[in-house]
Formats: sequence, C-alpha cells, structure tokens
Amino acid sequence: MNLDGCAHLRSFKTRKGTEPFRIVHSYFIIAASQEARKRKANSCYCHMCKQHRPRLHACLHCVFFGCHGARHIHEHARVKQHNLAVDLSYGAVMCFSCGDYVYDRELETIARDQRRKAAKNGQVKELCCPWDPTSAEIELLQRNPKRRKITESSTIGLRGLINLGNTCFMNCIVQALTHTPLLRDYFLADRHNCQMEDNANMCLVCELSRLFQEFYSGVRVPHIPFRLLHLVWTHARHLAGYEQQDAHEFFIAALDVIHRHCKGQNSESETNPHHCNCIIDQIFTGGLQSDVTCQHCRCVSTTIDPFWDISLDLGSDDARNNNNDTVNRGTSSGKLNGCDNHPESTTLTDCLKRFTRAEHLGSSAKIKCNACQINRESTKQLTMKKLPLVACFHLKRFEHSTRYHKKISTYVSFPQYLDMTSFMSSRRNDNGYINGTIAEINSDNNRYALFAVVNHLGTIESGHYTCYIRQHKDQWFKCDDALISKATLQQVLDSEGYLLFYHKQFLEYE
Amino acid sequence: MRMKEKINQKLIETGEKERLKELLRTQLIECGWRDELKVHAKEIVKERGIENVTVDNLIAEVTPKARASVPDAVKKDLLQRIRTFLSQQPGL
Repeated sequence: MNLDGCAHLRSFKTRKGTEPFRIVHSYFIIAASQEARKRKANSCYCHMCKQHRPRLHACLHCVFFGCHGARHIHEHARVKQHNLAVDLSYGAVMCFSCGDYVYDRELETIARDQRRKAAKNGQVKELCCPWDPTSAEIELLQRNPKRRKITESSTIGLRGLINLGNTCFMNCIVQALTHTPLLRDYFLADRHNCQMEDNANMCLVCELSRLFQEFYSGVRVPHIPFRLLHLVWTHARHLAGYEQQDAHEFFIAALDVIHRHCKGQNSESETNPHHCNCIIDQIFTGGLQSDVTCQHCRCVSTTIDPFWDISLDLGSDDARNNNNDTVNRGTSSGKLNGCDNHPESTTLTDCLKRFTRAEHLGSSAKIKCNACQINRESTKQLTMKKLPLVACFHLKRFEHSTRYHKKISTYVSFPQYLDMTSFMSSRRNDNGYINGTIAEINSDNNRYALFAVVNHLGTIESGHYTCYIRQHKDQWFKCDDALISKATLQQVLDSEGYLLFYHKQFLEYE
Repeated sequence: MRMKEKINQKLIETGEKERLKELLRTQLIECGWRDELKVHAKEIVKERGIENVTVDNLIAEVTPKARASVPDAVKKDLLQRIRTFLSQQPGL
C-alpha cells in the first residue's frame, strides 16, 4: 500500500506539522470521552446545510465542516484553496488536488496510536488491522532465522502419543481432536482466554491448547500426555483408573469438560446452557428433532434436542424392537447372520436411514397426545434439524446386557464424502417418509468429508484402539499410540470403524 | 429537521451511535454482506486498474447494490434498537 501520501500533503506537513490532523482525529473521529462526544455532537454538521450529513469532512486548513453529498466540502476547497480535508467516518485524508484519498505513514501511525490508546481505556473499539511487526518482533525474527516450510511431505501436526497404560482410547480421541480443522485453527490462533484464574493448571482447555502447540511444534518424538490424563481423571471421575475405557465415552466426557471450562467467556451462557457459544458448541453441536405423531388425530408433537454425536444401531433385529413389523422392514443391504441376528455387512447410509425412519411405538408404549388428552399409539421419527460443523458418528458395536457383553463386528462401509440432505428435518413430509429420491439435487450445505476414524481391535474384554487421521486434505495416517505410519484411503475405508468424524465441506454464512 | 438533529446529537453524546454502528458492522459481517461487497469492489478495481479508480468511484458504483442488499432482519433490528433508545430518553 502506498503510504507516501502526496506532494500536497507533504508540503502541508512541512508548513503546519501533524497537529491539525491530530486534533481533528482525536476530537471528532475517536471522540472517546463524554466531553469529546458532546463536543462532537454539537459541532459536527455541515456548515452550509446546517445539519448533520453522511460523509462529513473537516477541513485541515481551517475550522470548517462540509458534507460530501452536496459537495459543500469540495466547494470550500475550491473557494478557499484549502485542498486537504479529513473524512470523519474513518479518518482518511482527502486531497482535492489529487482528486482522491491519500495515505500517509506518519498520519496512519498517529491515528492508530490514538485508537489503540482509547481502546485500552475501553472507550472505543480497536479496529482490526493486518499484522505489522513491531521493531521488537523484527529483531526476534532476525535473531531466529530458522523457518519451517510447510510442504506436501511436511509432517507437522503429526505426533505419536505414548500409551500410559490402556490409554489408547484417549490417544485416539486426542488425535482426532488435534486434526479437527476448526478446532486446530482456534487453538493455533491462541483464541482461548482462560476463565480459571485461580488454578489455571486445572483448565482442560489450556491443556488442550498446550497439546496443539506440542503437535505443531515439529518435534517428532512421541508426546507423553500425562498432564492431560491427570486432568481428565480429575474432571471426569468415572474415567479414572488404568482400565481400558470406551473411546466414545471419553470423547463425550472430554467435550463436556472443555465446554464447561470454556463457559463464562461468551455472554448468555450462564442463563441458557443450550445457547452457549463456546468453541465446542460452535463446532460439534447439532440439533436433533423428534416428532411424535398421534395415530388417532395426526397431531404432531415436536422437540429439538442438542447433540454432540449420533449413536447408530448396526441393524440388529433382535427382540429389542417392540414391533414385530420391523423384523421384515430391515433395510440393511447384507444378509442376516443366522444365530446373532446381525447383518453381515451394512452401510453408514443404511444406519442413518434406519435412525431417521418413522417408528411405530407399539401398543405397549402409548404416549399421551396433547390434542386427544389420552394415551394413544404413536409413531416417532428422528431427523436432523441443525447439522453440526463436525459430525461424529458412533457405531454401537458394544452390547451390554445383564446376560452378556459382546462386540458386534459387522462391517459397516462408510463413504469418504457424505451427504446429509436426506436425513434433514426439512425433508420430512406428513407421512413421516423422507424424500430420498436419488435424482434430487444435493445441497452443497449438507456435504461432509471424512477426516478421522477411530477403530477398535479385538474383543470387548481385551482390545486396542487405533485411529486414522487425515492431513493436508488427502493424506491419511494411521495412529497407533506412539507409532504413526502412512496409510491409504482404501485402508481407511476398509477398516471396521467405531467412531467416524466428518466435517462440513463448505462453511456458509447463516 | 430539528427533531432529526436532536436525535442525532443524543445518539452521539451518549455514545449510543458508536455502539449501534459496531453492532450493525458485526451483523453485516456475519450475514456475509461485507464480503459480498468486498468481492464486488475488488472486481471493479481489477477491471479498471488500481490507478484508474478513486474511492469516490467505488463508493458511487457499490452503494446502490449495497443499500439494496441489506437484509430486512438487520434493518428491523436496528430500527427496534433506535426506537428503544429513544423511548428511554427523557425530553425527546
């Protein structure tokens, strides 16, 4: 940007210095104090129109305010030969000889310093300006000449995690979180302001921030996350101990603690827990709509609940389903496995279809209808009201009942790109069927891309968690505790899949 | 005309004008309005060349579209806030 001003401005500065600009800027553009505001209110009007006008300019040569619209400032410039004026909206200097605004380094600095000072006192908002290194920063950069260049083959952001005793469940979630694009941007931009002043070393968000620093430091030696583990044990007691825990449970517990520790930063969160604006809610929270339709009067009762993840059944057709009809309504594409009633293979889309289909609740589970005022047989349907920026799908592979605990190893094929359009609430029609014709134009806004997969190997008694994460848009890596190795997309898509992480492909304004 | 002046003065004196401006700025950024116009302005500069465009040119070209594309919700909200402010001012 040309910060040399113009010849006319330079000659003005030689004659009158920077004081005229300083005064105008401080009194009428910053106008921080109560007194200054009063002065501004009383004197900022066009001297010709005798009233306040948009794009007022203050003459730098004399005390005159003129508007731009009716060209009163132009006229003043011409008549009095006062060629310089300051626009009162932004502090830009107009040179009528040059016919345009001119930008002068010295004046820009004065303006910026005045604003910064006023912003420090909380009187005025500091404007966002591009980073200009200070002399101290330039010196630092010169003293540390080593630069890290990010190339295609760069491994920055990849780091192994030491297993501290069955902590592979934690390691996988940490890998997934450190590779969640928006979360990464948030922490690398140092956006977290710790709310726990008394014991900052108890803040899980601060620890997460430090973790991101560790991952992006370029250090290749595996990181030992003992502090993170300790904090998790402290804040989520149910996860404490050296036993193998469920990665999904850890994920939800971690999000919950981070969400709680973020609170207080953004307004409105104290009164309404559902409207928290913390980074976790911004990224992970979606809205799940539940519609219960009374079979008698057709009245629909709707509730919307926030969610951080979607837990999906794999298509088991056992006695858990109340309605015998559902046995034949199986939507899985694979054959039924005789003894266990689990299909041999299914797809993520099928699981989602099953999740969002209208379900008849059965005569033993009548719901009170608000219109009829008595218990009626109803159908219930779940659909996505609001999609989160990052969607986590949890495949329910672990069955716990009084009789047994077992793992369902059904292969679930999941895509690299997922379109959630057909599972949205907006697609639900009166019959409760979702319009799922293939010919529909898929909305850009509902398209998701896979970026992390957490896998569980082994049985429910002794197992091990590993994960795949995506780096640089199309490079995949396998994370097995301390061991990071390159992987192919096919390997990822062929893996069993327990937790699937997708992020929205296109971010849109609301 | 007198009333308009009085209102404007009150807004500036109390600092409410700055607050409202800030709020408006945020809303217009959040709904993408500013970025759309930025793109438009950049296109104009690209087409004509940076040497051949003045700030006044840009303002003249961009303003009609800018005014027309302010979302109704934003207008409504600002109007409501100004009304609320005025109702709280004694003697106006």
